[in-house]
Amino acid sequence: RVGGDGKPEKFQPPPKPVIIDRQKQRTERRFLSPEFIPPRGRTDPLKYYMERKDMIQRRKVFNIPEFYVGSVLAVTTADPYANNKANRFVGICIQRGGRGLGATFVLRNVIEDQGVEICYELYSPRIQAIEVLKLEKRLDDNLMYLRDALPEYSTFDVDMKPVSRLDHEEVPVNKLQVRMKPKPWSKRWERPKFNIKGIKFELPESKMKEAQKWSQPWLEFDMLREYDTSKIEEKIWKEVNEELKK
Amino acid sequence: MMPIWTKSGKKHAVTLLKVQDCHVLRYISKEESGGKTAKLLVGGKNVSPFSKPESAHQIFKEVGVPRKQKVATFNVTDDAIIKPGTPLYAAHFRPGQFVDVTAKTIGKGFQGVMKRWGFKGQPASHGQTKTHRRPGAISTNKASKVYRGKKMPGKMGNVYRTTLGLKVWRINTKHDIIYVNGCVPGHTNCLVKVKDSKLPTCKEHNKNPPFPTFFADGDEKLPEDLFDKEIFQFTDPSVTY
Repeated sequence: RVGGDGKPEKFQPPPKPVIIDRQKQRTERRFLSPEFIPPRGRTDPLKYYMERKDMIQRRKVFNIPEFYVGSVLAVTTADPYANNKANRFVGICIQRGGRGLGATFVLRNVIEDQGVEICYELYSPRIQAIEVLKLEKRLDDNLMYLRDALPEYSTFDVDMKPVSRLDHEEVPVNKLQVRMKPKPWSKRWERPKFNIKGIKFELPESKMKEAQKWSQPWLEFDMLREYDTSKIEEKIWKEVNEELKK
Repeated sequence: MMPIWTKSGKKHAVTLLKVQDCHVLRYISKEESGGKTAKLLVGGKNVSPFSKPESAHQIFKEVGVPRKQKVATFNVTDDAIIKPGTPLYAAHFRPGQFVDVTAKTIGKGFQGVMKRWGFKGQPASHGQTKTHRRPGAISTNKASKVYRGKKMPGKMGNVYRTTLGLKVWRINTKHDIIYVNGCVPGHTNCLVKVKDSKLPTCKEHNKNPPFPTFFADGDEKLPEDLFDKEIFQFTDPSVTY
């Protein structure tokens, strides 16, 4: 090819095509924090409505990020007896309990070879900041078995930097199978009632078979235990989003 | 029940009580009732009139109000008499007041002596023959009778009981909800009688109530939520020390 001044031009490669996956960006992730979903019972829905109003009011002033059981969080609370009047704790969320304003989450970490678990209330006014250092899910909803697992699975660096991630990506599921300390454990985690997927059981086959004796296979077909929250979740999600946008 | 935080960061548990269609039904004068003070009959929660005979509707027809599920009597001084037919609202109480709450406790049915009266029972082993939760001896030899009122098994619960001295933390005027400290007798959604506290330590906190009651058609316009001074409101930033 001959350019403007007669000399052969250097080869310019064509511009790389930018692929914008519009479908992925369109289906925005809907995350409704589990404490908004009312439990099944005979209480007047007005009570849950009043609680939700207070929860939304708190969320407008203070940012409570999206997190799951298995994500690493750093929480700063106001403490009258600490040096800077503030106390920072980093840990993995092992359990999210409670509904409404009393919702709690338990963070676990191993500091100087001592396992420490702290239960924080999401809506307590003493919490100054909640940062998600690593957002991920695990195979179970409840990681209490980390107490009987090797301590390396519960140690997290206190000065850990937040792991960067894109907004519209799906939350990664960490399919880690944890190795346990020798038995006895605080709970018999091999039993089917806990339904744990995230432990690498190194027990003999006979023990695993004996644990299956306590299985209750009729439970999944029990219609009285069914609690379909999909419609409730949709209504509450719409309500919460509208209020938060105001 | 719900948690509530104070400005110092302490948490308290709070019960929500809803004031649902309360109307004053009748005024009974001191001489008529034969007591020391005049009485006012107040009815709560509207209910269908078809499950009771016509004679039971007399009180409600006089006032022009639908049939109420529960009717309670309040002893009132002569300057606090209200005309029958006026609706009563949650704004009758103000945050910072102290309140007594009366209701029927949860019925537990026929219960043994250990659950009903807190007896210790007998040991589980060491030769006890068929005796682990029994009352044991019920009287002495000299008495040669059992005294009246001896604690024995029987129907437990479903009795009127009062919790005294409960602080009112917050009032919602739009939905007529009173947030009362601590727990209250009765199951969820049961009907409850709320009075000003009779405790002598709470007298000075109950000094300036809306007297005789809060009238909705009056001049006073209240905000939607009334809070106690100590409460942490969620519009404020987080608590620091």
